Amino acid sequence: MRVKVIGIPVLDQDKALAFYTEKLGFIKKVDVPVSESSRWLTIVSKEEQDGTEVLLEPAPLHFEPAKVYQKALYDAGIPYTQFNVDNVQAEYDRLVSLGVAFSVKPTEMGTVKIAVFDDTCGNNLQMVEML
Amino acid sequence: MTFYHSEIIRIRELCYSNTHQLQTVIGTKNYIDQHFDQELNLDMLSHIRYTSKFHLLRLFKRYYGLSPRQYMTDRRIEQSKHYLRRGMSVSESCFAVGFESPASFSTLFRRKTGMAPGEFQKRAIFAK
Repeated sequence: MRVKVIGIPVLDQDKALAFYTEKLGFIKKVDVPVSESSRWLTIVSKEEQDGTEVLLEPAPLHFEPAKVYQKALYDAGIPYTQFNVDNVQAEYDRLVSLGVAFSVKPTEMGTVKIAVFDDTCGNNLQMVEML
Repeated sequence: MTFYHSEIIRIRELCYSNTHQLQTVIGTKNYIDQHFDQELNLDMLSHIRYTSKFHLLRLFKRYYGLSPRQYMTDRRIEQSKHYLRRGMSVSESCFAVGFESPASFSTLFRRKTGMAPGEFQKRAIFAK
């Protein structure tokens, strides 16, 4: 088995695509309609375009327990998933300048530095730098 | 402050309060990052950090979850991917990241990525 796609639940696919591409810098990889209101929509890292795809899935709109779970994580400030970066402080500065809201500013945590921000689509995301 | 943020602070105090140990393993990891394309061994790394090699091995595994050699191999494979994507040949990439044998490089590369270096390069170029 291989890890080809991981999913992130989002409340609005259009809004998520704009945030993940325009602010985070990902690239759209696959965009296929699967119903009147939903798409199979994946993005990849610009530096690893043959790497794992992130599926921006509209699960919270169609499955109530998914919505409840996402909101519980969000309210507790728990990241839904995390992305690696080379320099957390530089990325934090860049994203703050783009208006992204952080619940955890760059913080050293043993052998990593982390920061947590709001993806505006129902999730907290963590970025990680290995020290 | 969110629940997650308070947990970060609690766990940091619980697990990462030994700054001397952290400096040792982070310093070792940074040294590997800067010299992974050269011949490195545990004796050399422990000498640089003024510690015994078995202590360093234990500490590195405890904080990073893998041995210094495993970390170095991963760094080499990651860098070789970068070279292959740029069009460097398999053997050139092998030597550029510090492996001495293209055969062992190919075996390791396949084990880590699921495909041979040549196949990885073809896919990467095709995907552009």
